[in-house]
Amino acid sequence: MSRTAERLQGHAEVMKLARLLGREPEELAYLERVAPTDVRALRDSITETLYDANGSSLGRLAAASRLLPAGLTATIGQRAFGPLLSARLAGLLDTDKAVDVATKLPPPFLADVAVELDPRRASDLIASISPALIGQITAELVARREYVTMGRFVGHLSDEAIAAAVATMDDEAVLQTAFVLEDRSQLSRLFAKLPKGRSAGVIAAAADDDLWLEALDLLNHLHKRQRREMVLAALALQPPALEAILDTIVEHELWAEVLLIAEHDDAIGQQVADRLAALPASRRREVAERARQADVLKRLPRLAEALKG
Amino acid sequence: MDAFTSLSTQLRGPTPDGLRELSDEELADLAAAVADARHRQAAALSEAGDRALSHIPRLLRGPIKRVVR
Repeated sequence: MSRTAERLQGHAEVMKLARLLGREPEELAYLERVAPTDVRALRDSITETLYDANGSSLGRLAAASRLLPAGLTATIGQRAFGPLLSARLAGLLDTDKAVDVATKLPPPFLADVAVELDPRRASDLIASISPALIGQITAELVARREYVTMGRFVGHLSDEAIAAAVATMDDEAVLQTAFVLEDRSQLSRLFAKLPKGRSAGVIAAAADDDLWLEALDLLNHLHKRQRREMVLAALALQPPALEAILDTIVEHELWAEVLLIAEHDDAIGQQVADRLAALPASRRREVAERARQADVLKRLPRLAEALKG
Repeated sequence: MDAFTSLSTQLRGPTPDGLRELSDEELADLAAAVADARHRQAAALSEAGDRALSHIPRLLRGPIKRVVR
């Protein structure tokens, strides 16, 4: 992952932690100096702390809800508990009861709960919610641009639910959510659920919103066939978009991605080499030093040549 | 007690070593944010109980109170 991609991932981690702590992300900006993996580990520790802090009280509330019909539990969840406590209670209810309660709540409230919920503590519930309702909740989250929330849930959804979710997501939402996915091993699964031709839409969204760094980072995590679709869609774009891709590759030194694109388009190596050769000598030396440290030049001889001198 | 240890004592899980890069003020802010979140959650819980009872039919309030107590 490039340093810039890691910085963006770090920002996403700080957003998730800020959400958990009820703070604005800007207030915790100092955490962007810490490695994203450490911010995530901190979030896990704080999640444990908050769930354990009132565990016995929450357990008694969950026990009481067993005495009530699902409709009344839904009313109480919405009007008395609110999204935060409902999220804490969700994983403590029997799964069948919790699903029954969820179907009686409006999708906007369920979206509020999703923002507060630790999906790992309600995995059975999430997997049991109907794809249709998952689609409705996703539509709410897309409207709020809650990409980090959606990214936390993908690994807990069934294939059918993922298909229903992506059907309600616009192409930018797919790209932004994919970039901040909690479990990046789920990326190829998410893309496998995109209908044919949707890869071209995701690439077009990258072009429209200047999200090439996010789009290029995806290439590292997709299956070869998915990567091919993405690369071919990019190559079909107009020249200004192709120029923007080359700009992003050189600016962020995305050499691993050049190798992946070169599997489908041999011209990329020479195009990037031409860009590198045109850089000022001092910048070229800096880039060459970092590329040597990353040990990528052996596999990119044209780039190595362009970086000489 | 240093700021890192002070934060660690608040957390149930491990405190990542990478946080040692933060200043004492930043670690103290983080510890305060965790404490605030715990207090907010506890306050929400104590208020929610009474609010919930007002939605429950009178006949059921006794049994529910016995379970919750």
